[in-house]
Order: sequence, then C-alpha cells, then structure tokens
Amino acid sequence: MIKEWLARGVIILGLVMMISIPAVNKWQQSQGVVMHARMAETGGWTPENLTAAVGKPLHLRLTSDDVTHGFAVGQLDQPAVDINPGEMTDITLVFTKPGKYTFYCTRWCSVNHWRMRGTIEVTDPLVRTEPARPPLYVTLGLNIDADHKASLTPAQMPSAWRGALLNQTVPEAYKSHNYYLSHTPVDLWLALRSEPSFDKLTDQDVWDLVAWIWQSNTSQEEVQAGKQLFTANCAACHGENGAGNGVFADQLAAGSGNAVTKQSMGEQTQKPVNFTDAPRMLSASPAHLQGKLIRGGMGTGMPSWGAIFTEDQTWALVAYLWTFQFQMEVNP
Amino acid sequence: MTRLQDTLWVDEIAPGSKVGRSSKRYSIPSRVNLYRIPWLHALLESRWPQFLVRALTLIGFVFTITTALFGSRVGSHNFAIIMVWIAWWTTLKLGFIPFGGRSWCSICPIPLPGDWLQNGGILVKSERKRGLNLRWPKSLRGSWLQSSGFLLIGLFSAVTLTDPHVTGWVLLALFTLAIGMSLVFEHRAFCSYICPIGGFSGIYAKSAPVEVRVVDKEICAKHGDKSCYQACPWGLYPLAMKDSSACGLCMECLRACPKDNLALNLRPYGSDLGRPPTSSRLDESWLALIMLGSALAFSAVFTGPWGWLKSSAFEIGSQAWLAYAAGFLVLNVLFLPALFTLCVWSWKKISHNSSPLRRLIVSQAQGLLPLGLMAWIAFTISFAFPKLNLVLGVLNDPFGWGWHLLNAASSSNSLDVSGFSPYLQVALLLVGVFWSASVTRKLTGSDGTHNSFPNIPVLAFYLVYSIVMVWLLVG
Amino acid sequence: MKDQNLQPQNSIRGWHWAILAALVLVVLLVPIPAGATAPTERTLHIEASRFEYNPAILKVNPGDKVTIELVATDVVHGLSIDGYNLEAIADPGKTARITFIANRQGSFRFHCTTTCGNLHPFMIGKLEVGRNTWLLRAIGLVGMALFAGAWKGRK
Repeated sequence: MIKEWLARGVIILGLVMMISIPAVNKWQQSQGVVMHARMAETGGWTPENLTAAVGKPLHLRLTSDDVTHGFAVGQLDQPAVDINPGEMTDITLVFTKPGKYTFYCTRWCSVNHWRMRGTIEVTDPLVRTEPARPPLYVTLGLNIDADHKASLTPAQMPSAWRGALLNQTVPEAYKSHNYYLSHTPVDLWLALRSEPSFDKLTDQDVWDLVAWIWQSNTSQEEVQAGKQLFTANCAACHGENGAGNGVFADQLAAGSGNAVTKQSMGEQTQKPVNFTDAPRMLSASPAHLQGKLIRGGMGTGMPSWGAIFTEDQTWALVAYLWTFQFQMEVNP
Repeated sequence: MTRLQDTLWVDEIAPGSKVGRSSKRYSIPSRVNLYRIPWLHALLESRWPQFLVRALTLIGFVFTITTALFGSRVGSHNFAIIMVWIAWWTTLKLGFIPFGGRSWCSICPIPLPGDWLQNGGILVKSERKRGLNLRWPKSLRGSWLQSSGFLLIGLFSAVTLTDPHVTGWVLLALFTLAIGMSLVFEHRAFCSYICPIGGFSGIYAKSAPVEVRVVDKEICAKHGDKSCYQACPWGLYPLAMKDSSACGLCMECLRACPKDNLALNLRPYGSDLGRPPTSSRLDESWLALIMLGSALAFSAVFTGPWGWLKSSAFEIGSQAWLAYAAGFLVLNVLFLPALFTLCVWSWKKISHNSSPLRRLIVSQAQGLLPLGLMAWIAFTISFAFPKLNLVLGVLNDPFGWGWHLLNAASSSNSLDVSGFSPYLQVALLLVGVFWSASVTRKLTGSDGTHNSFPNIPVLAFYLVYSIVMVWLLVG
Repeated sequence: MKDQNLQPQNSIRGWHWAILAALVLVVLLVPIPAGATAPTERTLHIEASRFEYNPAILKVNPGDKVTIELVATDVVHGLSIDGYNLEAIADPGKTARITFIANRQGSFRFHCTTTCGNLHPFMIGKLEVGRNTWLLRAIGLVGMALFAGAWKGRK
C-alpha cells in the first residue's frame, strides 16, 4: 500500500507543479503591464489605454499574438521596437512632459495597420498643460478638403539645378520661408511670370525657378528624413514611387471598398492620392499638405498623423513629397 | 481479432498450402528473446520503471494542454504545437513505429487515468474491474472508426496543427473521451477502436521488429489459469495472437505469467505481413490505403508550393475548403480503394486466380504497408526536420511569456535541410518500394493456390505512387 | 533444411546483386545533359501574401545572375532559399531586393522567415535551377527498386 501511495504522490506532485508554476508566473506578470498586439481586425492593442506619471518609468512587456508588429510613441523621443510573435519585448518609457500621447504600430500588419493606436495619459500635478497651437492651415484659414486643380502645369518636370543655373535675382519676398509655407507652386509661378525682370525667360525656365526656390526652403537631410518616413509609413498605400498604387491601393479604392472598414467604421475609403499628379500637387501649398497629414482624410482611409509625428517630421515629409514634382537633387 | 471470445483454437489453413510452421517456431534463431537479458528482465518485471516513464508522459501531456490553452497563440512559439506536431510526431514516425511497432502505446499517458479507475489504483492489479465493463459492440470493431478519425483530423489539420487553442481542445477531448470510455467499456476500448494513432501504429506493427509472443505453446496448453489474459488491459490472449497489430506492448502479460513463458522478441522486419493468411481484415486494407493517400495529400498541402491549396485547407467553412475536403475524402475513400481494387481484380483475371476477390484484396493490401511506412517517414522529414530548431525555443519559453529556462535565444527561422533531405527521402522511398514489391511477390502464392503470376497491376500501382511521392518531395 | 537450399543459389544471387549494383551506379552517375542555355541576368518579381508567393515556382538557368524583388502585399514577409543561404525581408511599401548567382543546380525550396500568421511555417515556394537531375535519377532508381523487390520476392 505504501508503494501505491508513493505512486499516487508522484502523479499528484507532478501535476500540481505543472499547473501551479505557470499560474504563479501568470499572476506575477499581471502585476506589470503586458501589452498584446494583434492586427487591427482582430483586436489591435490590449490594453488600449494606459496611464503614467511624469518622471516615473513605465515598464511594458510587449508580445504579438499573430504577426510582426512594432511599438513607438508619437511625439516621444524613443526609438521604435519590433514586437515579434510569441516573444516578449521589454521596454521602459519615461515621460518628461504631461499630455495625451498616442502609441502606434510601426510594422505594416494589415491594410488597417495605421488604425492600431492607443493612448497613454501622462499626468503631472505640478505642471499646467500648455494649450496646443493650432496647425498652420487653420491659422491660414485653408479649406484643405476643397477640390483644387492647377490650371497650368510645366511641360516637363522642373528641376532645381536648372533653376540655379539661370542665376536670376529673385525678390526676397518670394524666397522667404513664410511664403513657401503658405503659397502653392502655381502661385509662385504666376507671381514670377508677372515680374518684368523675368520676361525673357521661357515658361519652363520660370518653373525651374520655382523648383529652385522650393528646394532652397528644405535641405538634403530633411528630404532624406522625409523619404525614410514615407517608405515606412506611406509607401504601402501611396506606392513606392508616390503614384497612388501601393500594395493596399486596390483595397482602398472606392467601390471595391474595404469590407472591414466599411462595416466596423462606417467609412468609404478612397484610392490613395497620386503624388505624381501635377495639376493636383502644384495647386497645393506646403501648409495644405501638412494639414492633410496632421488631420487625416476624414474617412477616406488617410490616417491622421498629428499625434504621431513631430512638427519637424511633418515638414520633412512635405519636403519629400515635392520630390515627386520637382527634381530636387543638388547636382544633376 | 485475437480476443479470447473470437479465437479459433486451430489455425485455419487453406487447402493445398504448404504447412511450414511448427508450434515451436520460436526456438529457431529468427527470434531473439529480449526478456532473457537480465537487466532488461529486471526493468520490465518491476512496474516502477514503466510507471515512472508514464508518469512523466502524463505530466508532460497535462503541461502540453496547459500551454496550448493558456500560452501564446503563435504556433511556432507554443510548447504544445511544437512538441506534439513536430517533436513527438517525429519520434513516433522515425522511432517508435519503425523500431518498436506499437511501442508508443506502452508509454502513452491518455489511457492512464482510465486504467487506474478500472483497477482501483495505480500499481494495483485487481481481478474485479470497476466501471460498467460493457463489451465493445461487434459492429464497431476493427479499425474503421480509427481510420475515420484519422481522416477527420486530416480535414482540419491545417488549423489543428497551427492553432494552439485547437490543439489544446482536441487533446483535452481525446483525454476525456478515453477516461469516459474506460468507465463504460471493458479494457482499452479507446485505444483499440477510437485512437487514430493506435490505428496506424497497429498496422505498421505488423512489419516492426518487436513482438510479444508465447515461448512454448505446450506449456500454455497445460496451464489452466490464463493469468496472461486476466492481466492484459487490451483484452488479448497471448497464446492466440496471430499478429502484433492489437498488442500495445504494455508487458503486463510478461509480468503475470507464472511459468515465465512469454517473450519480448526481436524479429525480422515484416514478420507479420500477410499473416494471418486467411484474415478478412478489409479495415486494415483500407487503413493502409488511407495512409498512402494522406501522405500524398499532406505532402502536397504542407510541403508543396501551392498556396491556393494551403489556403483552401486552412479556411474551414469556406467554399474552397469544402472543395478541398471533398477532394481529400474522394482520394482516400473512393479513388485509391477503387484503383487498388481494380489492380487486384485485373491481376485476378489475368492470372485466372479462383480465390474470392475480397481475400485477394486483403492479402495483397499487406504489401502496401512497407511503402506507406516509408512514405510517411519521408514526408515527416520534409515536414518536421526544418522546424526542429523550434524545439529548443519552446523548451526555453513554453508559454511565449518571455521565460528563459535554458538561457537560449529563440529564432523563427527554419533549418536548412536541403543538403541531405532529398537524398534521405529518396533512399527511404526506395527501401519502401523494394520491400513492398518483395512482400507483394511473396504474397501472390500465399493464399494456397499454386499460381504465382506476378501482380503486375499492383506493382504498377506502387510505381506510380512512388513516383508521385518522389516528385512531391524532391521535385 | 533451409540452409541447404541456399548453397547453390548463393553464386547466382551474387551475380544478380552485382548487376543491380552496377545499374544503380549507372543511374546515379550518368551525366544528364543540362541543355544548352547561356547564363543571363534575370529579375524576378515576387509578391508575397498570407500564405503564398506569386509566382511560387521560379525557373532559372544555372549560372544566371538572379535578382529577386520581394513585394509584401499584406504583412511583413521574408524569403530565404534553402541551399543558398539568402534572406530578404519585405515590409508592405518597401520592396526588398537580393541578388545572387544560381550556381547550384537542382530544385530548392524557399520559405518565409518572419512569422506572418498561422500557416507561416508552410509558406513555401520552389526555385528550379536548370534541370532537376536528382528527380530523374530518383525515378530511375524507383523503377529499379521495384523490379529488384519483385525479383527478390519470388519463391
């Protein structure tokens, strides 16, 4: 009988160990924050809303339940981390400014990848929160949803270096950064065309001047930064060459419509904008483009990036977008 | 079968065949009795070593279900998926079955709680069994249910093999069913009639090099007690065992025999093929064909480059899946059996064989077993070998919770087996083809007639099947 | 009894196995003409989705300089070719390119290297470089094995 009880003991001990060790570990884990990432269609982030305090480190353990995701917090200087399926990634966040931060997925995980967002509410009892500045398009009073089409377009793609070679003296008013931000390329062309000192120039020459002035408002670094942001965040829909033909473009086109977004979010998505379309792009000002970026497309499927990108990042993206219309290299 | 109730006390021998076997056949050197080895005898005689191994498998099984239901939903990082469908499956197909026949059954944890409930204890062997002890219905005997279960799993395999939750529920369901059946039916009804693993382990056990048999039948004839039958949890009577397909190698009869007249023999490969000669086990024939068909289907679905096929196997409930299910079932239930029957029938006509078609089918189907065994081993190499590196990862972090039990880094990349796998797979199929052809040839005269016209149609069947398998695996 | 039967057959059996061995060597070693195709430069555009490659079966000539452009259409996918030790990972919106010289002849599987969902371990394609000589030899060997088995089994 002793042998029998010994045998029973072995079984019971083994089973108890096998069940209690994971149970204890799971309970321990729930003391911290475990973030599960799933494709937006099957749940997105769990939990979706976090709280934190200024100066107090927030420890997160991130894991993915299906495909590769990534984690980054908008407007926070913290590099993105990849979240690999079945693995745990640890990250610690420290906030110096209070506010409502948005965290988001950084690796394309479906056509609704950009909808994978959550919030971190960071409080600080000592500091009074500053009111946010309105974006430039609001200050300028632009209607960024109005149709716009340039009435005149260049015969061939203007290039900044040809404009530089023309060696013309351009009135300072047109070269200012404020002018760049608030005017469209067509505005500038019309203004230059009416300048008597440029009468001898051809229409194409004036376009080259416009390109050169546009380029002088950015830098190679800014364009490069914009290109990296574009490749990681925009190319999947807008296409690697900006022609609105990215891998998800068909799913977004109106009519064929994205069945998931239609049902769950009541939207009618549209085919992504073609940045190589001259009539459309040349009749938009940088402020207009930045506004579209920050605010999003109001149901067209274009994400709102205002909570994610810093202001510098948005201007860098705008600078890159102009490279689809103008040749902006320093040397040909 | 070889149950006491079904036994014929005299071997039925067809008229005209050569009587070549004596009742003392196990004294000739083609059998080596491992039970005579002193340390092995000691290990098997005591019930503790086997119990400890089975305790481990039981605890591991419960742990597997726990990880399946509560761990990460990413299959490649979940202990249950990798250990069951990669590690255990590989050891089953490459180890337990080819070298031990139905040897997995000797350490399988699934029937354990049922056994203990029936016996009233773990190490206790009581005469009076608890539970209802009903006899398994005669109409449900044989391996028909096991084969159907195997096909059913095959229909849902794309999801079962990749989703930990589904694996967990399936294992839990089988576990509960086994326990329930032990309380209602006598012996190991689940293992004998329901478990699909038992089904194909059983038929391949006929070709395996291990068996449990009586040593000297004269001693049994004088022994009135039948203690071996009382001890056997499978309800077998060792004296009357005609082949190894129903024996789970649990060793209880070896322990129970007071005359030490039972042997655990090493024997030549293929010893039970074609035995018993007058078997009418159509269910075995069908299972043999299903194994061939499913090896073909799974090679195409899992290791082939056809994404549309994989998607249709995966999206259960969709129209594409219904087409896949229909195709899979037609292949295994209609096409291959019909083709094989046609081959046997045409051979019967060509060779003017007067034996009934059913007996010819059953006899010739035994030749399918070596090829099926080898085809499955070859498929397992394609399927499982590239993923063996994941075993380390799940031992390190079974739940996908970030544990580091072994301080190992995890990787989701596959192993590159292209250096040796094509050659190994072809070699295995060659062994299978050679062996099957040889067995088929030997069987052509075994039904008692003198006609030994080679079974060209069936040999052609092997040829076509093997070429298709080779193309799927290395083409 | 049985041993006596073996004696006179031994010498005959020896001959048979020798012939078989020779035939096996022939099938294994006979050079199969590769077909006169000069190596070229190729670019193969592959779209990866859950869980297939399109196209999944690639045919190139031995010695070709192959560039694979991998476009991911839904999630991050990878591509690694067995036997060539290459890997490319593509995010949607970012085409990945790898270039290699297809100097090894035969049939090679390639598969996805970043977990892209349930069927990720079975996301497989095939690269055929030249003729798959091993397949042809294997078929020859299968025929021989069948014949040899039937020969051995006769009483």
